[in-house]
Amino acid sequence: MITAERKPLKEIMDYIQPFNRILLVGCNECVTVCSAGGRKEVGLLSSALQSAFLSAGKSIEIKEHTLERQCDPEYVEEIVGMMDGVDAVVSMACGCGVQEMARRYKNKPVFPAVNTKFMGASERQGVWAERCQGCGNCLLGITGGICPIARCSKQLMNGPCGGSTNGKCEISKEVDCAWQLIWDRLKMLGQEDRYLDIIPAKDWRTAGGGGPRKIVREDLAG
Amino acid sequence: MSYQLDNKPDNRVLVVGGGMGGIRTMLDLAESGHSVVLVDSARSIGGLMTQLDRTFPTNNCDLCTLSPHLSQSGRQERIELLTMTQITGMEGERGAFSVTVKTAPRYIDMEKCTACGECFKHFPDCVRFTPGLDHRAPTCMRYPQAIPQAYSVDMAACKDLQALVDICPAKAIVPDDTEKTRTIECGSIVLAPGAEVFDPKGLDYLGYSSQPDIVTSLEYERILSASGPTSGQLVRPSDKKQPQKIAWIQCIGSRGIQKGAQSYCSSACCMFALKEAMVTKERFQDSIEATIFYMDMRTFGKDYELYLQQAKERFGVRLVRCRPHSVVHKQGAQGLEIQYLPEGQAQQVCEEFDMVVLSTGFLVGQQTREMANILGIDLDSHGFAKTGSFTPVATSKPGIYVAGLFESPKDIPETMVQGSAAACMAAGDLSAKGILSGQEEEFPPERDISGEEPRVGVFLCDCGENIGGVLDVQKLADYAQSLPGVVVAQSVGHGCSSQSMERITSIVESEKLNRVVIGGCSPRTHEKRFQDTIRKAGLNPYLLEMANIRDQITWVHAAEPELAAKKAQSLIRMAVGAAKMARPLADSTLPMNKNALVVGGGVAGMTTALELARHGHKVYLAERSAKLGGNAAKLRKTLEGEDVRAFVNGLVEKVKASENISVITGAIIVDHSGIPGMFKTGMQVGPQMFYRQVEHGVTVLATGALGNHPDQYLLGKSDSVITQLEMDSLIEDKPEKVKSWSNVVMIQCVGSRSPENPNCSRICCQAAVKNALRIVEINPDARVFVLYRDMRTFGLSEDYYQEARQKGVFFVRYSQDAPPKVDQGQDGCVKVVFNEPVIGADLEVEADCLCLSTGLVADDENNEDLALIFKLPRTKDGFFLEDHVKLRPVDLPVPGFFVAGTAHSPKNIRDSIAQAQAAASRARTMLAANEISTGAAVAKVDGQKCAACLICVRACPFGVPFINAEGYSQIDPARCRGCGVCAAACPAKAIQLMQFEDDRILAKLESLFERMVA
Amino acid sequence: MEKFEPVIVAFCCHYCAYTAADMAGSQRLDYPPNVKIIRVPCSGKVDAIHILKAFERGADGVYVAGCLEGDCHFKNGNLKAEKQVQYLRKSLDEIGIGGDRLEMVFMSAGMGEFFARKAKEMTEKIRELGPSPVHTQLEQQARQKAS
Repeated sequence: MITAERKPLKEIMDYIQPFNRILLVGCNECVTVCSAGGRKEVGLLSSALQSAFLSAGKSIEIKEHTLERQCDPEYVEEIVGMMDGVDAVVSMACGCGVQEMARRYKNKPVFPAVNTKFMGASERQGVWAERCQGCGNCLLGITGGICPIARCSKQLMNGPCGGSTNGKCEISKEVDCAWQLIWDRLKMLGQEDRYLDIIPAKDWRTAGGGGPRKIVREDLAG
Repeated sequence: MSYQLDNKPDNRVLVVGGGMGGIRTMLDLAESGHSVVLVDSARSIGGLMTQLDRTFPTNNCDLCTLSPHLSQSGRQERIELLTMTQITGMEGERGAFSVTVKTAPRYIDMEKCTACGECFKHFPDCVRFTPGLDHRAPTCMRYPQAIPQAYSVDMAACKDLQALVDICPAKAIVPDDTEKTRTIECGSIVLAPGAEVFDPKGLDYLGYSSQPDIVTSLEYERILSASGPTSGQLVRPSDKKQPQKIAWIQCIGSRGIQKGAQSYCSSACCMFALKEAMVTKERFQDSIEATIFYMDMRTFGKDYELYLQQAKERFGVRLVRCRPHSVVHKQGAQGLEIQYLPEGQAQQVCEEFDMVVLSTGFLVGQQTREMANILGIDLDSHGFAKTGSFTPVATSKPGIYVAGLFESPKDIPETMVQGSAAACMAAGDLSAKGILSGQEEEFPPERDISGEEPRVGVFLCDCGENIGGVLDVQKLADYAQSLPGVVVAQSVGHGCSSQSMERITSIVESEKLNRVVIGGCSPRTHEKRFQDTIRKAGLNPYLLEMANIRDQITWVHAAEPELAAKKAQSLIRMAVGAAKMARPLADSTLPMNKNALVVGGGVAGMTTALELARHGHKVYLAERSAKLGGNAAKLRKTLEGEDVRAFVNGLVEKVKASENISVITGAIIVDHSGIPGMFKTGMQVGPQMFYRQVEHGVTVLATGALGNHPDQYLLGKSDSVITQLEMDSLIEDKPEKVKSWSNVVMIQCVGSRSPENPNCSRICCQAAVKNALRIVEINPDARVFVLYRDMRTFGLSEDYYQEARQKGVFFVRYSQDAPPKVDQGQDGCVKVVFNEPVIGADLEVEADCLCLSTGLVADDENNEDLALIFKLPRTKDGFFLEDHVKLRPVDLPVPGFFVAGTAHSPKNIRDSIAQAQAAASRARTMLAANEISTGAAVAKVDGQKCAACLICVRACPFGVPFINAEGYSQIDPARCRGCGVCAAACPAKAIQLMQFEDDRILAKLESLFERMVA
Repeated sequence: MEKFEPVIVAFCCHYCAYTAADMAGSQRLDYPPNVKIIRVPCSGKVDAIHILKAFERGADGVYVAGCLEGDCHFKNGNLKAEKQVQYLRKSLDEIGIGGDRLEMVFMSAGMGEFFARKAKEMTEKIRELGPSPVHTQLEQQARQKAS
């Protein structure tokens, strides 16, 4: 899942300061699940903006709407009727949703209300952690199901660096050393020999080094 | 609901005593469809518990979180409370008693009294208001309607009668009230009169009467209580300073050597003192030292041993094993001196304390003895009602049952168990069997209001002077009339009087109102009544909103009438705004399956099955092994000397003969589904493992426990080493062998109270005393040594312990750090070495038999499977965990599940039977209904909006929501408890809690702030 | 400007705080009428939006009152409420209303005296803080409209 976090209120207020009529759009996918931009957060941001502007002596009008998914044109099309009488759009979706919104409603300024952070998993209620960087060439099959690219601070491919102490990364005691995790897992699986396999230098072209990426499924693409 | 059989004597039970036990009996019976008359000699009900600040082992104010709503109308109709009432005569027999009772004059008409307190305010000398000393009691118990609001008049103290009569705004004072006598016809009687607490005044050496800083445990409780005489400040009575050192002295008036003391153990005082010491330490930490002087620390209840550990280790409560003789106050000195002999020392120590708490025990009161005499039931030498080992709540007279402290000293959970057990047995004597007519009160069909604009009616109570004395109710009504959507706004005087309710009903009809706002008292107490009122007018009951303008305005803002009036307008505006958002809701109902599944065919399971079968329920009795009987089949004698084998065989015969019981032996439970009232449970049966599924409304778990068999002290390695259970049979079967013994050693707490199994097995001390007595009976020359850590012969079994000591059984204490040493000896003997603390030396005994008290442990493997299948929680040591250890010891946390016997915790046969009868009673309260009502305040998911994020699944305190096959969250209304935590947490705003929907709450806010933007 | 009378909303759980408020009533313990109670089944039911909306509409102070720790009828709704309140206090600082205007309190059903005292304390505190900036602006708007 894509995880995101709401921007500081001040930043959002600065964006929309010049406008009076705002459409605040949430997304019912990833940002709902990570409690950053679903229907509830739309309501909270709307109320917070109202109060904050009012405190500063300015009245604004905010319309609220949450789309099923902001990164699909059909869903984004749904709010076309709401665009009349709106000066600017604030999107609470991830960067993909914000861009789709901007692509569809070209004549309206579109501002992001969240910072899109990473692709992650939910460790427990309210805690999300990075798990994948979308490198385009998955290694998890040989690293015990633990990704050294997303989870090793140095993205090392063949074992830990000298900063690994007691299973923790040198950047912080809160961060597990990915290679320690990999080793522990391989040991548990009885596949210690895997560790000896040298992973060759990674070809980063699939990770975006080759420019913006795109997937085309010929059978599906219209 | 109204029931045809309500007021017929053959469906009526008389309950004597309105403490926790009596209330439990009364509620169980009423919920099972019987009618109950409850008499109590006090001015209000509640008993001893209402005086407690907090209760063990939860250290919470449990009464307020868990006591049931008595105000539910259906139940209330079957209950009659007679306070200030005593029994004066009795005739007849089981099934048809005729009891005469005398009610003392209260001089207050309870029908008219609104408990406004005017009389008390002006005439404090002659008006009594005693909600058990504790202002929390009436509201805390949450049924101020049913508890007679506790005012009464002391006529002798009243000097100006007319002035008193005139002061009452409700004209409720009746100066010519007289003593009334009436006769109650009933089928059976339950006695739960409670007990008195020992008065230490007579023991001058304790200084209780002369020293203000020496208090009883109950008085200390009042000092701790936030609403007690010191408002929760812990100060000693003499100089109002906070004490630094407090001592508790146990066994005051119990285990008697003192003047006037009883010989038995009062059972609850050790836990009581630990609780008081812990609460004290918790509040004041290191600034107070808490010391308990005790003889044996008797923490024998479920998980009570852990409580003791916590007191010692986490709270630093100091425990001194010694019974001090006296408390000395030296002339001129401030402190109180206690002399004691520390363990293992030869010199007495003198220590000074600031305050001393006497842990006083229970005793049967004179009034109770007189009542027993009138009823003709037998009492034991202490004055407790005589009962049998296998009939724990039956008195000597058929049709009369006993519960609580009058049966024997005990704590609240055991009182609750007996309260339910007595309800079960008393119901069995009613020829009507509580079969409900099932006829609903005639309500007109509900009017469909969909599509209608809100038409709100506002009805305002003046509640006599209570509201009218502060607010101009007519003016408030005029204001309400001006609000948009309000069609009618009226002042209705006492809104809860039947006259006003009829008026409201007729206005709702004539004005075609579709929302109603009541401005008056608290919805906590009156919502249900007003819901019924509008329901009678054909409106859905949930179209009601209440504004609490009495408790939360006129009672608290009387000094600022203008601001009060403004606030009243706000509250009415908020209520009108919210009422407009109210939706008709349905209490969802499903048909009740009246069958029961009892898992476990031991004594507890068979007892529950027979009791339910007796009341006409079909029972599936599933036993894992090939035959019925359980652990008790291996037992021979009870402590009281009764024949267990004959009893168990009789029980098996009765079960087999019962047409309503279907016994399924060799049954292993494999799956379970459904909701309370409509369960389906699958099992594999017999050697062929045939699959069979049964449908049932309730489930009772009576799966028992296992005899512990730890690898200690040569158990299983030497023929001379046996367990108490084996000893029990050996004494019966081979008395000649017993005769040949010269030395017998028993070791207590083998495999219990240890790091591996921290809890006390409860039964072993009694078993050791029982077997020791039987050995010296057969072989008076045998020397029997019982090596113990604390002798826990609680309650009346203390007498047997004393008897054993008198008969020469040696009781020698050992400490956990220096356990006895056991080695193989000569000629098949076993050599036991132990330290004798009094002489301070090691002794060596060549024992012909070493008997180990190994106790019971949870059947971990089996319980784990069942807990998984039924989704039930367990304690750390593997027993099933009840819903509430204090007040609901038989109900499991999953509705529709009950527990009985040793599956709950180790206990003897007698207690297992009581709990089995209680489980039957609790099950009957559910099975009595024809429909399962799942309430209306439940969370509803809008599947369209749901993002299947799992937040509700994780947030729900009861694990109810799940993501269904369609991919959205689903909440089972039958299991939802209506807290709304999921609704608050949902990031997609896909969940709404009915009755508290977001738009309804927001409407209140919008209405509150309307004036500011308008 | 006339004497500032703060408007304070108290979200009270049915089982403890609301009962304590009734208890304050039956004991006739005076407290300031500024406090307006909204009853909820559990303090854990109080949604962040209810609190923000109260401030948006002009509340000068809000508090959520739940059961004592360990007493929650629904296991731990009170603790969930407390976390939410702590989180929202930061939001209120960000908005410019000030987190001090929001509080979480715990009480048992029997603590009528505590309820009254808390209502007093909260009212005094908010009185000292003065009207919330939203409240001030709303009043101003209302006056402009009227004139």
